Formats: sequence, C-alpha cells, structure tokens
Amino acid sequence: MKVTVKLIGPFVQAFGFSEKELDVPEGTTADGLIALVSIDKGRPKIVTRNGRAAAPDEALADGDRVVISPIYSGG
Amino acid sequence: MNGWTGQILRVNLTAKTFKKEPFSEEFARKWIGGRGFAAKILYDELKPGIDPLGPDNKFIVALGPIAGIPAPNTGKAVVAGKSPMTGGYGDGNLGTRVAVELRKAGYDALIVEGKAERPTMLYIEDDKVEFLPADAVWGQGTYATNDWIYAKYGKGVGVLNIGQGGENMVRYAVVRSLEGRAGGRTGMGAVMGSKLLKAVVVKGTKPIPQADPAGMKKIGHDDLREVHEIDKKTGWSIQSTNGVLAWCNEVAALPVRNFRKTHHPDAWKVDGERLNNARIATYGCPNCTMRCGITIHDDEGRESELDYENIGLLGPNLEIFDFPQIGSLNYLCDEYGIDTMSAGCVLSFYADAIDHGAVAGDFKFGDADGAKKLLGLIARREGEIGNLLAEGSLRAARKFGHGSEAYAMQVKGLEVAAYNCKFIPGMALAFGVSPIGAHHKESWVITFELKQTSRESYGPEKAKKVIELQRIRGGLFEYMVSCRFPWIEVGWGLENYPKYFKLVTGLDWTLDDFWTVSDRIYSVIKLFWLREYPQTDRKLDYPPAVWFDPANADTEGPIAGMVLEYDKYDGLLQHYYDIRGYDKRGIPTKATLERLGLAEEAKAAEKFGSMT
Repeated sequence: MKVTVKLIGPFVQAFGFSEKELDVPEGTTADGLIALVSIDKGRPKIVTRNGRAAAPDEALADGDRVVISPIYSGG
Repeated sequence: MNGWTGQILRVNLTAKTFKKEPFSEEFARKWIGGRGFAAKILYDELKPGIDPLGPDNKFIVALGPIAGIPAPNTGKAVVAGKSPMTGGYGDGNLGTRVAVELRKAGYDALIVEGKAERPTMLYIEDDKVEFLPADAVWGQGTYATNDWIYAKYGKGVGVLNIGQGGENMVRYAVVRSLEGRAGGRTGMGAVMGSKLLKAVVVKGTKPIPQADPAGMKKIGHDDLREVHEIDKKTGWSIQSTNGVLAWCNEVAALPVRNFRKTHHPDAWKVDGERLNNARIATYGCPNCTMRCGITIHDDEGRESELDYENIGLLGPNLEIFDFPQIGSLNYLCDEYGIDTMSAGCVLSFYADAIDHGAVAGDFKFGDADGAKKLLGLIARREGEIGNLLAEGSLRAARKFGHGSEAYAMQVKGLEVAAYNCKFIPGMALAFGVSPIGAHHKESWVITFELKQTSRESYGPEKAKKVIELQRIRGGLFEYMVSCRFPWIEVGWGLENYPKYFKLVTGLDWTLDDFWTVSDRIYSVIKLFWLREYPQTDRKLDYPPAVWFDPANADTEGPIAGMVLEYDKYDGLLQHYYDIRGYDKRGIPTKATLERLGLAEEAKAAEKFGSMT
C-alpha cells in the first residue's frame, strides 16, 4: 500500500527529505513507518495520521498521510 | 539584598521629576520582578476606571533577578500598564538591551507617570535622568527613531521607542526595541504615546548585586554555550518558530480567512522550509543562544523579520501566501509600531465583515496592496475606517453590528494568536483564561492535547495542563525575567532557573515555591480585572463565538463537521476554576487569596465586588 510521509521543521534537515510517497507492506504501523524512514526513535516527536494523532501501534491504511513533527511548544 | 538592585525609578513626565524608591526584601520575595512587580504596583497605585490613554495610567518597565545577567536568553523586559485594548491589566515582554542597562543603572523597574508637555525622550544613565525633546522624530517610524537615537548615543544603549501607531494611540500599538523587536501588544505603545513619550534610552555602568557573582559568571557562560550547542544539534533555529506552520496546517489548526478555515493547499508556500530558503539574516536579543528572528527581503527590498505569529496572521489568515508581501505587511507594522498579530486579525475581521455584508467596503482576502494601505490609515488614524480599525476588532464589530462580534477573533478585547481552536478545546481554554486577553505566551497546550489526550476531551487533564504551563510560561519566565524558548523549544531544564536564582539572590527555592508566586500574580491580576469590571462573569473567559458555530465547521479534512460545544467548554472552564480555587465568576475565593498571602489585596477588592 502507498502512504505519504511528511516531515516537519528541523526533521527535514535531520532526516534528509521533506515529503515522500512510500510503498509499505499491509499492516505497517505508525512506529513501523518511523523505522522504515530511519527516524531516530529516541527523538521526541508527535505523529499524526490524516491530521489526527496516531498511536505507535496504529495500523496504517492505503492513501494515509503521516506527519512526523518534533514537539513544538509554541512561540 | 543580592539579586535585586533594590530600587525602582519613578519618573513624572508632567512635573519633570524623578525619585529613586527602595523596596523591601519582603516585596522582592513575594513578587520577584517583571510581571509580578508590574501587577502589584498597578493594582496598588491605579484608581479603578481611569482612562488607559490618560495621564493617570502608568507605564512600567519591570525586570527580574536574572534579567540582564549573562545566562541563557535573559535579555528581556516586561512592559505594563492598564491596557487600552482590554481595560484590564496589560503587559508584554520584549527582548531589549534595556534589560541589561536598566539593571546596571541600578534599577529593577521604571514607573513613568503623568504626561509630558511635548514629545519627550527619557534618558537614564545611572543616577542621572534627563527629559529631552523628541520633536525631531515625532511623526517618524521606529526605524528612523532608532537611528536618531543611535546617532546620538551609539549602539551601546538600551532603547524602547514607539512609531506613528503609538503616537496616534492605536489601541494595539507596541513598544519597539530594535535590539530585540516588539512587545506589549495589549497597547503599551499607545500608553507611551498618550504620555508623549517617544523613547526611553538607558545606559548603566554599575555591577548588578549578586550572591555569587563568580559562580554565576561561570555557570552563566557555560550554559549560554551549552544551550547554543543543543540548538545547533536539534536544528530548531533552522526554521525557528515558523516550523510549526506546516504542522498547524496538517492538523487543522492554521488560521485561514479570519479563522474560517483551518488549512489551505497553498500554506506550504509560506512554511518554515521556504522561510529558511528566503533567509538573509538571523536576529536575536541580548544574551540569546537560539536566535528566532529570520529576516527576508520584502516586496520593496527592505529587510523584514518574520516569525510564525506574524506569518500566520498576516499571511494565511488574510489568504496571502507570498513571503515578500507578508514581509512588507510585517515591515509596515514594525515601522508604525503596531502589533502584527492584532493587525492581522483586525484586517481579516474587516475583510470578513465586508464579505458578510456587515459593512460596505472593497477590501478582500488576498489583497496585499489593500492591506498595506489600510495599515497606513490605521497607524495615522486616517479617515473613518482607519480610525475605527485602530480601535481593534471588538470595538469595530460593535460599530458594524449585524452579528459581526461573533467573528471578531478576540478574548476580552485582545485578538487571538495564530492557532485556530475551532476544535482544540484545551488551547481555546488557554486563550480564554489568559490574564491579559487572548495570548499564546501564557499556555500553549496543542501538542500535549493532541499527543497525550483525546482531541475530543474537555476533561480536567487539559485544565490542569493549562495551569501547569501558566505557572511556568506566564509565571516563572515573566517574573524572572527570561525568554522561555530554551525550555520550551530545546528542552533546557526548568531546574536551571532555581539554580540561577540561588546564584544571584542566595535564596534556595524549589520550583513549588515559584509556582506559589505564579499563582499569587495570576490572582492579583484577576483582582485588577474584578475592580475594573465588577459585574464580571465567566463569559469573559470564553473564546470567540465563531468557534462554537456549527455553520462554521470545516466541510472536509481532519475535523470536518466539528466545532467547540458551549456546555462542554463551560465544564472545562469549571475544571480550571476548581483547580485554581476560583469561584463561578472566575475570581479567586477568599480562601485562595489568603493561602497566597493576599488577604490585604482581598480586603481592598471587597470595595469593588463581592468576594466569596
């Protein structure tokens, strides 16, 4: 299935891309996707799936948009 | 008394007099400085019902025990007075060399009273205070005024000044300091203007008294370096505050079209990546470790310094998705000395009101040239519309009628920051209970709300988090006085602040000791509001009505069909009051006030409204 991954803020420079579409196996979870795109697991982050917060073990679906952002705290 | 200079400088512009007033150690420990000093002084000294733009109001510059000391991001000052926007307590903070120089001159605060006979620049150098004519720059913008001051004194002085917006008493005029930008969006620039006070210039040469100056010097410098290294490692400064724009767009929290929409397909054009690409320079305040100001060229080739709030509110909120155009609107606000955030909301409200037939006009969303022209009219209070929009969106809505007050994006008269809370209950609460009117600086709960709670929840966990953040952001950082960015954006530990406090004052305090001070300050500010609005009720703590309107719900996207609900919001507000120890009107109970050492203030408040 195809999912789009969008990185936010300094993650763009840190992990080398801004947005890309990926072919991932059925049943891939939010956490699994993070591993696939080599995002440092220890780095504090907030993951959303189609604009709503995603749990680490939440299974993704075809066409999902997953956004991975550092934890902003508001200027 | 270590940590504090122990003196406040009181200046009277009417009589052209000044005096140095010592304060007690008890006062220092109870109120610490910055917002604490300002709130207590204004509560004690202002008579209720005074005109915020009249000579009876006071303009205060207040610093705290770590302000100006070399340590991470301590170059900030609080400016305060009765707010022309809200009629309640008003303040703001800004980066400025004044934080360093006023402390070195021997003062922890400056109180300006009365009204000058002619445009005046106040010059303070240690024990000397001069009342100098400023006619040469009256009518000039903040950049020209700053240049005039630097030509006279060099760049080593601290400067606060106003532009045409402050002179003409635009209610959301700010105080500008080109060493660190702007502050006091509650109208502190208008308060200066009402006193014909064009500028305050400060030079100090004395050491700031400290319990352990050698220890503070070493730790301060080590920490300055360390925070800077953490910032470099995490990369926060690459996109600075505007990194959050793309995220807000993804989670339906971006203000678009006067907050009618929560996301837009063109938002990427003004996101953090594009801002970084357009960057020509980076700016920070004195003692800054993580510079947040990114400058670009505007559409007339001028340098304009942008951050998320001014991009969000002068950009997508007006349906403008072009950096040079946004830069130009931002430059004009800075030049005129008017708040970029309120200006963005006032313009978007005006376009919305025209769109909805509440008023006739030809200004439309997306019209950058029209917006530029309107900013000029506002700053000069020119013509009927310039004069009215200079009053802010709430007063303009009351004039327009036709239900337009519902989409004036404000709380207590102060416009909201760039977070669209159509369906973010906790952040809506944060705007609602901010003690100065809607502001993001007090409590920013969105990421907590989305990551650690259900977005649908109106539960006590959100009220509790709002209070926790108020104690830190609206409390600790506003009275120490120091920039919150090292803590909020790169995780610099809160435990560092009691450490700095001990090094400068010798006092060994826990964070819980500080939270008591934060609660005390929030309570005295509440009493200030009660005195001004004796019939106050909890509706003052409600966010804009349009966020509750089902007809305003998104039709697509992550929160399609969803808006805030009145009953549930009221329940969330009650959780907040219960945890804080406030009554049903949102006023601290007698028991709460006594617990916080405010029995005398409670007694004074009895004259103006019943206490429970």
